[in-house]
Amino acid sequence: MKRRIGPVGVALVGAAVIALLVYGLAKQGSSRALDEALAAGRLPAAPNTTRTLPVLDRVSGSRAALSRWRGGVVVVNFWASWCDTCNAEAGLLEHAQRLLAARREGTVVGITYKDLTGDALAKIGRFGFTFPNLRDVDGSFAEAYGTSKLPETFVLNRKQRVVAISRGEITRLSWLTDAIARAERT
Amino acid sequence: MRRAALYALTVLALSPAFATAGAKQRTSMQAVLPYVMCVTCGIPLTDAQSPQADQERAYIQQLIYRGDTLAQVKGALVAEYGTQVLALPPASGFDVTVYVVPAAVVAALFGGLLVLLPRWRRNRNRDPGSGAGAATGPLSAPDAARLDADLARYD
Repeated sequence: MKRRIGPVGVALVGAAVIALLVYGLAKQGSSRALDEALAAGRLPAAPNTTRTLPVLDRVSGSRAALSRWRGGVVVVNFWASWCDTCNAEAGLLEHAQRLLAARREGTVVGITYKDLTGDALAKIGRFGFTFPNLRDVDGSFAEAYGTSKLPETFVLNRKQRVVAISRGEITRLSWLTDAIARAERT
Repeated sequence: MRRAALYALTVLALSPAFATAGAKQRTSMQAVLPYVMCVTCGIPLTDAQSPQADQERAYIQQLIYRGDTLAQVKGALVAEYGTQVLALPPASGFDVTVYVVPAAVVAALFGGLLVLLPRWRRNRNRDPGSGAGAATGPLSAPDAARLDADLARYD
């Protein structure tokens, strides 16, 4: 019996190390829970809506959460100044913002992902964004949306449930207008 | 005497240690890179090739030009990208395993040796007939008879 304690102990330690590695690898993968819920016909609650993030502006210090815009349609767009495809869709997002603002239906909210404040502000100036932008400094906010590549866009209805997801560049304005219309209806 | 004191003061003032004692030490790209990760690729910034890595390197260069120390550069990077920008993560949350697991493995190996080595040594002393010494001991009568029989088959 005593002789078995050594091998069993080694096996247990080995299993623990392997479990730790598996957990670490699983944690790095992107979650697709929102996509699966949408595909199943459900409208999943948007994650982290009450978590505050720093507001991207020249005056530092203020913070805001997505729940601030509850009651209206919110188009959450993850972007970064170093992302070329984000720049390609920037015009469409600003167009959507003007549509939403004109009808007082909601807003686009940009969330910068692992980006420098100065570079992000320069991009806002270059594209003339009129929508608010927040900073996800370490990417942990985006992680809850399963976002690890840019750009990605989530359209939320008035109850802040996800009605549409674009993982990748939005190439057609109709995708945005259709998703916004669906968000208004639900 | 006064001239000697003046000479000593001049030498002291010109020595690098004295000159940098109060002033901050500006860092270099070579000094910073080993401590920094590419936050989107998850590999050391030295090896990373991506638009985000280029942005990080350009920012570090700006900080160096500004005259920042290594600690200031690291602090500025953490403020922009979070702690994941550092090659060595903070000892909190799941990241604490980076420090705990290797230490635990080394401790377990050391502990195992402490327990097993005396046991092996004890077993060896208790059983002199085992191992390499077996061939040198006297044979029992049945073993000797069997050996003789085996050898007889080769005659």
